[in-house]
Amino acid sequence: MTGTVPTLAFWGLALLTIAGAAGVALSGHMVRSAFSLFAALFGMAGIYALLQADLMAVVQLLVYVGGISVLVLFAVMLTSGIGRVGTDNPSHRPIGGLLVLLAVLIPALGLAFRMPLGIESPADPTVAPIGDALLGRFVLPFEVVSVLLLAALVGAVNLARGWRRDPEERPSEEGR
Amino acid sequence: MLRLIAQRLQSWLNLPGETGAVLPALAVMLGAALLAFVFIAFFAGPVTWWERRVAGRVMSRIGPNRVGPQGVLQWLADGLKSFLKEDIVPAAADRPLFLFAPYLFFGGYMATFVVLPFGAHLVATDLSVGLLYLIAISGLVVVGILMAGWGSNNKWALFGGIRSAAQLVSYEIPSAFSLLAVVLATGTLSMQGIVRAQGGWPWEWLLFRNPLLFGMFFVSFAASLAENNRTPFDLPEGESELVAGYHVEYSGMRFLWFMFAEWGNLWVIASLATVGFLGGWQIPGVRPEVIDQSTGWAFAGWQALSFLVFAGKASMLVLFAIQIRWTLPRLRVDQMMIVCWKYLVPLALLGSAGVLVLVALVPEGSPVDWFLRAVSLGLGLWLIIAYVRKARAAYLADREPYRRLEGKDPWYPPYRLP
Amino acid sequence: MVSALPPAVTPGNPGGVRGWVGHIVRTASSILEGLAVTLSWAFRRPYTIQYPDKVEVPVPETLPEAYRGILEVDLRLCTGCLQCEKTCPIQCISISIEKGEDAVRRLTRFDIDISRCMYCGLCSESCAFDALAHSNQFEAARQDISELTLHFVREPVPVARHKAGEAPPRRPRGEILREVLPGLGPVMSPPARDRRAGQGDPSSGEGKP
Ligand code: SF4
Ligand code: SF4
Repeated sequence: MTGTVPTLAFWGLALLTIAGAAGVALSGHMVRSAFSLFAALFGMAGIYALLQADLMAVVQLLVYVGGISVLVLFAVMLTSGIGRVGTDNPSHRPIGGLLVLLAVLIPALGLAFRMPLGIESPADPTVAPIGDALLGRFVLPFEVVSVLLLAALVGAVNLARGWRRDPEERPSEEGR
Repeated sequence: MLRLIAQRLQSWLNLPGETGAVLPALAVMLGAALLAFVFIAFFAGPVTWWERRVAGRVMSRIGPNRVGPQGVLQWLADGLKSFLKEDIVPAAADRPLFLFAPYLFFGGYMATFVVLPFGAHLVATDLSVGLLYLIAISGLVVVGILMAGWGSNNKWALFGGIRSAAQLVSYEIPSAFSLLAVVLATGTLSMQGIVRAQGGWPWEWLLFRNPLLFGMFFVSFAASLAENNRTPFDLPEGESELVAGYHVEYSGMRFLWFMFAEWGNLWVIASLATVGFLGGWQIPGVRPEVIDQSTGWAFAGWQALSFLVFAGKASMLVLFAIQIRWTLPRLRVDQMMIVCWKYLVPLALLGSAGVLVLVALVPEGSPVDWFLRAVSLGLGLWLIIAYVRKARAAYLADREPYRRLEGKDPWYPPYRLP
Repeated sequence: MVSALPPAVTPGNPGGVRGWVGHIVRTASSILEGLAVTLSWAFRRPYTIQYPDKVEVPVPETLPEAYRGILEVDLRLCTGCLQCEKTCPIQCISISIEKGEDAVRRLTRFDIDISRCMYCGLCSESCAFDALAHSNQFEAARQDISELTLHFVREPVPVARHKAGEAPPRRPRGEILREVLPGLGPVMSPPARDRRAGQGDPSSGEGKP
């Protein structure tokens, strides 16, 4: 990350991410928090892009920005009583929060300043190597994770269907 | 430790010595954004007129024909009208969200232009993950819709927003899987790479590569219509039940941003399908290497020609989308979900799996490959012939009654302007 | 638990995988059918009549006898009985009558505010002398609403003196209106007006100020 423009872009994105994160924690209203989360995740995607991690950036966009944050918004908006604009977020625990912050921040900063960070030259596209690795060296973990996710999916569908008391009332399967 | 932090900060903040490069870089960015914006304006505007003209003829009307010759300037009048309207913010709205939503919506849409190729070398950046990026960036649009729906503090708007989110999250799956078939067949995620893997002639297009890809085209097109809230999947707007959905509270310029993006999206749908299935900008009979190696005026000429080819194909698809809009009724919410999860998702999964098998088993250029191409070309031709014959039959069925009633022939082809 | 979904089975659909495929085929073919129909309409004559500049006959001439257009009063027939003024539910007719030195009653004002008139027809019903009647004209768009108050009396005229049923014939429909409401006719953009004037269409319904 050398050059003026990337540096400026980095500061802009970092600001967006941190402001978003602060918004999540400090905003008085759940929906605003959810939108701030979106901003924070988007900023992260931008930082990945700056680090030449193209696949990571796009997957971050696809999964976190387009998927998770939309689902979070969806869930938040379906929460009962959310429509009252006065619904605020009373859970401020400054001391506990500070402790958690320090517990995370100190190791993270320590790592950040010890490791050689930054990339020297524009990296090659990462899609093909990642794909090769996933289907080559890491094929077993990859498949195990797939099975796990599939199981989770099936389980979720089963939960969502619920248990009906009367099997007669189950809506029939085919076509309408 | 502190010294280290100070050093780091210094090295970060100490802008490297090429400060002079900032302004040109910014200028380039602004210029590119402006170019994309102008393109959108000059595409989305006239398309609103064109769409209404097509709708008019389909409904036995004429459509807007007052402002300018045949009404082509109608969009300017409409735009000016919206521009001059008061920008109303409802008193009970969630103000910052309400004000910001149109820009997020429009911005998410404009971000797709980063990877859309317009011609052989007419592309902002050819990202190696272009297709994935295109799928991913639509997340911005849906967040914009949710933001608008929530910020308006209006239950219809909120319904529209929620519907849109549900719809987009669902239809992203068949859309992504059907495009996966394209990726499997071409072996690349880059938009230009996908175009270059095809050729100029129809039998070199992915659409006619094999019958499965032929089917995938329709799955992909339906899914992207749904993702962009086009009729018959325009439930988030649903005039009859939701007034206008998520933009019901907007007026003036902010409303215009939504409209811009909505019609501009047509271009994105059409060019995505063009790139993925219709050979993109490939000029029939011209190898892309010829274009790459040309210089000077020849190079510029090839660019213009490839743009024309691309725009021609995309415009046909735009016309197709418009005709679909004025043909099919809107689905109900449950039907919309059924179409997605029970039909499109399995079809897309089966299709991409089948494409994988075909790509793995049938080498390009082998007799089986040519046979598959011939079958899909035949399928396409058969569809077109059936389409035209059915249209002719529908016309002929009504000709005699019309003659008896009106005393003249109903024949009035579209090129005859009233 | 009541299902919100509509009844499931399409008639004649076997269900299962075959039914699934059947649904897809039916959807595809009906979409094709629909597209073919809309395509065929692109080749048919639109039914639209392009008002006002491309109509074959001016619209007022196509309207039926009983059409209640803008009111007009034939002063040669008006006896000044004030029935119409009294009948109008919204008082948009105002009539003044003065008796001169020669003991002749003269109409000095007969105004109808057609911007308020709701074309109910009560006044013309109540006019026993057929003086007040609806014309077949309706194209009276104006920039200023005050232009829509029609002043039928230019200079005082003696009221008519005849019995009901013995009135002389009225002037042709719309003729009086054209005198009191200059520029009567459809609003057109200047090019359209020129085009139409160039065609020499005699019955354009345009004003002769
Ligand atoms: S038509 Fe009705 S409203 Fe108009 S002037 Fe006559 S009575 Fe009054
Ligand atoms: S227009 Fe008819 S009703 Fe009215 S004053 Fe004259 S004669 Fe009487």
